[in-house]
Amino acid sequence: MKINVMTDILEANDRIAAVNREVFERHRNLVLNLMSSPGAGKTTLLERTAQALRDRLRLGVIVGDIETTRDTDRLEKYGLPAVQLTTGSACHLDANMISYALPHIDLGAIDVLVIENVGNLVCPAEFKVGEDLKIMILSVPEGDEKPLKYPLMFRESSLLLINKIDLLKYTNFDLDEAKANARKINPDLEIIDISCVTGEGIPQWTAWLTECYQRKFGADSRA
Amino acid sequence: MAIARNIVDIAVAAATGANASRIVRVNVLAGQLRGIMPAQLIFCFGLMAENTIASGAHLNLEITPLIGRCRQCQEDFPVKDYSYVCPLCQGEDIEMVGGTELRVRDIEAE
Repeated sequence: MKINVMTDILEANDRIAAVNREVFERHRNLVLNLMSSPGAGKTTLLERTAQALRDRLRLGVIVGDIETTRDTDRLEKYGLPAVQLTTGSACHLDANMISYALPHIDLGAIDVLVIENVGNLVCPAEFKVGEDLKIMILSVPEGDEKPLKYPLMFRESSLLLINKIDLLKYTNFDLDEAKANARKINPDLEIIDISCVTGEGIPQWTAWLTECYQRKFGADSRA
Repeated sequence: MAIARNIVDIAVAAATGANASRIVRVNVLAGQLRGIMPAQLIFCFGLMAENTIASGAHLNLEITPLIGRCRQCQEDFPVKDYSYVCPLCQGEDIEMVGGTELRVRDIEAE
């Protein structure tokens, strides 16, 4: 016999993501799902952001890595409350893993929660974790054609940070080409060029973050 | 792997709900944008189905093309090469109506 189903395969994940979202709403957290390939600069960006936002927005981080707690060790040096999830073999974070991490972070003491996903341009884009926005980093050494090779993540993201622009002069990375490729996949994508080494673009990025927070919670909120 | 496990769970729940005792075939709609690798998913599905009533079932993947709908003239068209422009009126306000889904369409069981 034939049985009609029409069930979304990620429905179970999406249900847990919706529960996470309610928790975030209750604590007035803006939640960002930060994705990129390994080594694009996710953790360094967060170090920079913590310094730049000090006293304006309180940041907290959930970090996903396959192994080690090196990232949380780095972030805690900057006074960031950080929870490390070691995923073992999983190449992405899903809503269920995040729900397990939530009791380990004081959501009432932070304004913005960044979920630093496992470095991977494919699977993290598939799994909602309860975020308000997905954002991603593409770094100059990766190449300007990446948006065309990994369309789903570029399509799902609201903001693209092009990092390591201090290395532009040493590579054949074409910034205009990269942006054209990304906007072809996602015409609404916002793009900011940054360098976590020189600090270029960091003020624009933190302004974007602050604006997102204020848009969600009103202009008279923190920051 | 997580996707394969979910497919097995959904299929087994549907079959059990219909009092079926063995799943023969599972038909899945996978949008082109989801970047599913059929061979890999079929392999993982086989592993996950072991020791369930879906053991030995055939996983059929139908890859659905990217379809855009122009909000200006309501024309549906296949999106080629990620070019989100309406071929009829050149409108650029495009809504995706196909190619993003990932769902179990139906199962055949006995």
